[in-house]
Amino acid sequence: MKKIILFGLAVLALVSSCTTPVTLGKQYPAMYEEKPLTIVIMPPINRTTHAEAKDYFYTTMYLPLCEKGYYVYSPYLTMEMFQQESAYDAEQFIEGDLTIFKNVLGADAAMFTIIKDWRRNNMGGVLTVDVEYILRSTKTGQTLYTREGLIKVDTSVNGGGGAIGALVGIIATAVNTAATDKVVAGRKCNAFVLSDLPAGKYSNMYDKDSSNPAGKKFVKATVK
Amino acid sequence: MKKIFIAAIIVLAFTSCDTTKPLYSWYNYEDVTYQYNKKATEDLQAKLLEQYKKLTTKQKGGRGVVPPGLNSEYGFLLYKTGKKEEGLKYLKQEVSLYPESEKYISRIIKQLEK
Repeated sequence: MKKIILFGLAVLALVSSCTTPVTLGKQYPAMYEEKPLTIVIMPPINRTTHAEAKDYFYTTMYLPLCEKGYYVYSPYLTMEMFQQESAYDAEQFIEGDLTIFKNVLGADAAMFTIIKDWRRNNMGGVLTVDVEYILRSTKTGQTLYTREGLIKVDTSVNGGGGAIGALVGIIATAVNTAATDKVVAGRKCNAFVLSDLPAGKYSNMYDKDSSNPAGKKFVKATVK
Repeated sequence: MKKIFIAAIIVLAFTSCDTTKPLYSWYNYEDVTYQYNKKATEDLQAKLLEQYKKLTTKQKGGRGVVPPGLNSEYGFLLYKTGKKEEGLKYLKQEVSLYPESEKYISRIIKQLEK
C-alpha cells in the first residue's frame, strides 16, 4: 500500500514538474548574478501624444520598487538632477553607456520605461496604459529585467482589484486618488509588471525567490 | 499513510501563508506628492511637510524603518524652505540609514551649500 502511494506521489511530482512554468531564476538570471541593490528611475520615454504622461508616471515607480526591497533614489530629487544636467530625455541612455550613473549616484541599475499607450476612453470609463520596463545594469550594461504591461482600468465601478497577488494588494491600497486620474492606471501597471521582479536586499524574499514561477513577459489585464 | 497526510498538510499550510507584509508605511505619500507635483501651492507644501513628518516618525511596516530616499526628500524640502540645519540633519540621516546613498547625498549637500 505504502509503495503504491509513494509511486503515485513520485509520478505526480514528475508530471507537475513538467508543467511548472519558467522560474524567476531562469527568466531573469542576470538579476541573481548581479544582485543590484540601488536603482535609479530614469525619466520615462514617452511615445504617446500625451505630454503629461511622462512627468506623472515617473514618480509612480518609486513606491513599488522600494516595496520590492531595493534602495531607490527619490525620483523627486533625481528629476531635478536630470533637468539640471539636460538629461531629462532618457532616449539618449537607453542603449548607451550607463557608467555615469554608477559614478555620480552609486546606482547599480537604471529602470527605463517606454510609455506606448496612455489614454482614457470617456465612453466606457476605461483607462488604458501600455508600458515597457527595462532594468539595465550600470556596470555591465546588460538587461537585468524586462517586461511589458498593457493594463486597462475600468473606472465605471469603484472597488478593489481582487486577489491579484500581495504586491498588487499593497499598491492597490495606496491607490486612492480620484478614479478618473490616468495615473491610477500607471500605478496598477507597475503592480502587475513589477510583481515578477526578483526581491532586493531589504525584502525577506531576497535570494529566496529564484525558484518561484515567472509570469509572462507581456502582461495583459483589465482591472476594476 | 498518516505521515504522508501530515506532510501534505504541512506543505499546503506553508504555501498558503506566502503573503507579504508591506516593508514600509506610506500613508498618503503618493497622493500628496502627486498633488504637490501638479500644483506647488503653499497649502499643499504644508500638507506635504506634515506627511513627511509622519512618514519619518511612524513606521509600522515589516522593516520598521523609514523607506529609502524619504529622509533625503524631507531634508531637501526643509532646506529649500529655509530650515537649513534641520534639512541637513535629515539628509545625513539618509546616509546613516542607507550607506549606499552616500555618494549621491554628499553631492546634493555640496550643491546646496554652494
